[in-house]
Amino acid sequence: MAQISFKQLRVVLGLIILSSFLASCSTQATSKYFGRTKAPEGQVLRYVSGSEPESLDPQVPTGQPEARVLMAFYDSLVEYHPKTMEPIPSLAESWEPSKDGTEYTFYLRKGATFSNGEPITAKDFVYTFRRGLSPELAAQNAYLAYYIKYGEAYNSGKLFVKKPDGTFVLEKDVNTESKGAAPEAEKSATRTIEPGVPVEKPLETEEIAESGDTTVAETEFHKYINEPERLTVPADEKSQKALFEKNPKIKAAVESGELVPIKGEDIGVEAINDYTFRMKLIQPAPFFIGLLGHQFFRVVHQGTIEKFGKDWTKPENIVTSGAFELAAHNPYDEVIAVKNPNYWDAANVRLERIEFYPLEEATTMMNLYKSGAIDATYNHTVPAGWKDIVKQYKDEYLNFPEVSIEYYTIAVNKPPMDDVEIRRAFSLAVNREALITFRKSASLPLINFTPDGAFPKYEEVRERVYDELLKKEGITREEWQAQTFNAKRACGLFEEAGYKIREKKPDGRCIIETDKSVKGYFPVEEVNILYNTSESNKAVAEFIQAQWKQNLGLTLPLNNQEWKTFLKVRKEVDYKGFGRAGWVGDYIDPFTFLNLFYGKNNDSSTGWHKPEYDKMLDSANKELDPTKRFEMLAAAEFFMIRDQPVIPFLTAETNWIKKPYVKGFYPNPGTLHPWKFVYIEHDPNKWDTDVKNIMKIEDPWVEQQISRLTKTQEDFKQSQEAQKQNTAKAE
Amino acid sequence: MLSFIIRRLLLVIPMALLVVTLTWVLIRAAPGSFYSSEKKLPPAIEANIKKKYGLDKPWYQQYGLMMGNILRLDFGDSLKYQGQSVNEIIKRHFPYSATIGLLAYILALILGLTAGIVAALKQNSAFDYGSMALAMLGLSVPNFVLGPILVLVFSLWLFIFPPARWGGLMALVLPVITLSMIYAAYIARLTRAGMLEVMRSDYIRTARAKGLAEWKVLLKHALRGGIVPVVSFTGPALASLLAGTVVVEKVFAIPGLGNIFIQAVLNRDEPLILGIVAFLSILIMIFNLAVDISYGFLDPRIRYE
Repeated sequence: MAQISFKQLRVVLGLIILSSFLASCSTQATSKYFGRTKAPEGQVLRYVSGSEPESLDPQVPTGQPEARVLMAFYDSLVEYHPKTMEPIPSLAESWEPSKDGTEYTFYLRKGATFSNGEPITAKDFVYTFRRGLSPELAAQNAYLAYYIKYGEAYNSGKLFVKKPDGTFVLEKDVNTESKGAAPEAEKSATRTIEPGVPVEKPLETEEIAESGDTTVAETEFHKYINEPERLTVPADEKSQKALFEKNPKIKAAVESGELVPIKGEDIGVEAINDYTFRMKLIQPAPFFIGLLGHQFFRVVHQGTIEKFGKDWTKPENIVTSGAFELAAHNPYDEVIAVKNPNYWDAANVRLERIEFYPLEEATTMMNLYKSGAIDATYNHTVPAGWKDIVKQYKDEYLNFPEVSIEYYTIAVNKPPMDDVEIRRAFSLAVNREALITFRKSASLPLINFTPDGAFPKYEEVRERVYDELLKKEGITREEWQAQTFNAKRACGLFEEAGYKIREKKPDGRCIIETDKSVKGYFPVEEVNILYNTSESNKAVAEFIQAQWKQNLGLTLPLNNQEWKTFLKVRKEVDYKGFGRAGWVGDYIDPFTFLNLFYGKNNDSSTGWHKPEYDKMLDSANKELDPTKRFEMLAAAEFFMIRDQPVIPFLTAETNWIKKPYVKGFYPNPGTLHPWKFVYIEHDPNKWDTDVKNIMKIEDPWVEQQISRLTKTQEDFKQSQEAQKQNTAKAE
Repeated sequence: MLSFIIRRLLLVIPMALLVVTLTWVLIRAAPGSFYSSEKKLPPAIEANIKKKYGLDKPWYQQYGLMMGNILRLDFGDSLKYQGQSVNEIIKRHFPYSATIGLLAYILALILGLTAGIVAALKQNSAFDYGSMALAMLGLSVPNFVLGPILVLVFSLWLFIFPPARWGGLMALVLPVITLSMIYAAYIARLTRAGMLEVMRSDYIRTARAKGLAEWKVLLKHALRGGIVPVVSFTGPALASLLAGTVVVEKVFAIPGLGNIFIQAVLNRDEPLILGIVAFLSILIMIFNLAVDISYGFLDPRIRYE
């Protein structure tokens, strides 16, 4: 036996030597590029896209991995700018808002077709919007389109109430404090038009408007949709009863009238003619245009869907509208996109083929990348252990701020966390810089709720607004900035709140009394840290726990739960203390973050709700001037974050890699890439270098494409201006 | 014998139904659902989804529908992957796992049996120590360590085999080796122990005393008895190999059933979970039956009642 274990020992020793050799080999960058770097033949991109797409139907899936794939296959009214993700014209050459900002008219591009050669018209968009909102599709993303008038009512299967005289009961008839219907809608007469047929009719109206001619067409549908908001009631008896009890007027109205189901034809989208599409919103939503690039709004082909039903996305059936069409789909292995020759801008699409690999194992991706089998990965893919090595490859490693933050929610209604001073104290006692160093991520410390670096224009305005607000509160800017970590102030806040400090340390830290027999003790077991089970969440939770232990002397219990369980518990604010959270913006506007705290049953998972805050957001969105709107949003953000329902930690960064020969491919805040700007550069002299500056360097071809596309909207705006001036002169 | 087989086969049905029922209860007991995510869904959307998938019906109706589906061997559509039926998913992904599993199984048998037999015959020789030490190593190095080491050496240094993904014979080499090592090691040790025990038994002494050639003693008499423990190990092992091994499929990005199963559980994709569970439990029960039958051929002392 002794002999065996000696031999085994030798083997083990050998293995240790081998592995330390492997380790030493890999810690330094020995070549210019990370692994094999050779541009593939032709224009082919091999991209790791994340988890297997739930579906290739753009209106069904909700995730980013699907968004990346679907952007290749479907086009929308607007496309994302490859660098900033702002909306640029795509199928819509130009668009204009109405004066009150609740109506948008889009002038579509002529000659755009689906992959089967059929033209894409305004009718297809009407179909797409109606389908997305239909209760039968049960799309999880339908809420994105709730800004469309009657969109929510249609999606929830609600009913209109028709009076015996043929007119409809209006919201304001029964609710004295109406939800503030659009002002111009109030003015128009209470005429009724039979809904249900409005779309076909207007199409027969005469062809109007080459883009540039901006007369808003008056159609039957347009009159109907601009009437004051109709009363909508839920279809199921239980909710009806509840509603009747709350408001007897509704009961009376329903009993004397007839209930009419809301149909897809009743929602606020309209094809004025083949190339003019108009939508009516429930409120001014200036960010909504930016949302139209979302896969949910990308246009789908009615004929194919109706013919094949749920099988319409199979490679043999699918009809797409984007720059690429589907060649093959082997689930969990690959999705193959090939250039769509029928795409309206096909002449300017350079990639011939994109191979999407649905993979999630970060190490596997790195291996594939190193061996030269893939060209780029999606965001957050360089594992912590590899980061130090990979970031040395300056031509390949991309780490930029993104529309994504990490924070802890606070259950604000349970003592002791119902005290805002205590919430602030906990926030102040986390050293965010140290957290970032610990995480080995180059993310940015965060004290606000909207991420830093993702909305540069908003941040500029916010800076100014905050200066004023801080002055009012008597806080200096330095103090405000110092919120990233201030143990002394944290201890002070605890003391002011009446908790006993057992020991003060010379560097400002303290130990707060937790012994129950002492008066003024802090009930530490009433405050937990809840997170969903994962190595990295655990590491962060332990780090935060250690921070509060070192700085406040409080050791909070950790509590981990499996993902779906965790989601439920956190949503229902069924935890005490803190819950791990992250948020990724849906579109490039601060509202996608601030909206989280809007409304009584909001998504914040904190139980926090303030009507003042809702009002602030409402009035901000009614503002048409972008700068003024940002000012109002900034004030709302300040209001919310001063109440500290959350502890923001950091703005995440994108953290991914691409080979230097892939060009036109930018680390934008959402890591969503419009594929038509991407190409493979075969000349090594033109490869991307030092990608830290990639956002500043202008690729002549890409810039030319963007300015060509944005020109239609700019020209349109100019001609609008000119017209205005002309009419002004004439008067 | 025949009645034994029929009896066992008939038992498979209630057993599978029991397994499915337990799984169903477990899924229902776990909080969360296939559509829960970071965002809170508006109640209207949640209601739409519940209606679409029949989740608004009372639980006994849902259970009845599910059982009805299973008895017809039609597991319905996946909740997560819209428009794909569970049967289609299993049919599509089982071959990946089965290919790798079967190859790994064959490799493990060849390596394990050879090493085990030779080690037993040359007990206490250098080969015995060497191969058993290797087997020990094979048992103690988990495949999520072995896989990446093989990738590092053969894909990133030597550029011989692709580091991951399905496609071509070359892509099979590393995952098959990774998967088979632990089984080969186990088989080697079981074979050696079994052989050593049998070689000391009376009927081997008798065979030798009759003057049989050593190789005949070995292959005709000793091996049959010696590999009984190996068979009882490899039967269920083959089932689990074929069904897919999550780690290897993850490391090498193979679209096999193991990968799908884990994802289905994480997604709370009920029909898919139940479908795979039913499929696997039937598979395992059939392999166990095959093992039980094979005992009779290997060891005449075993009788079926």
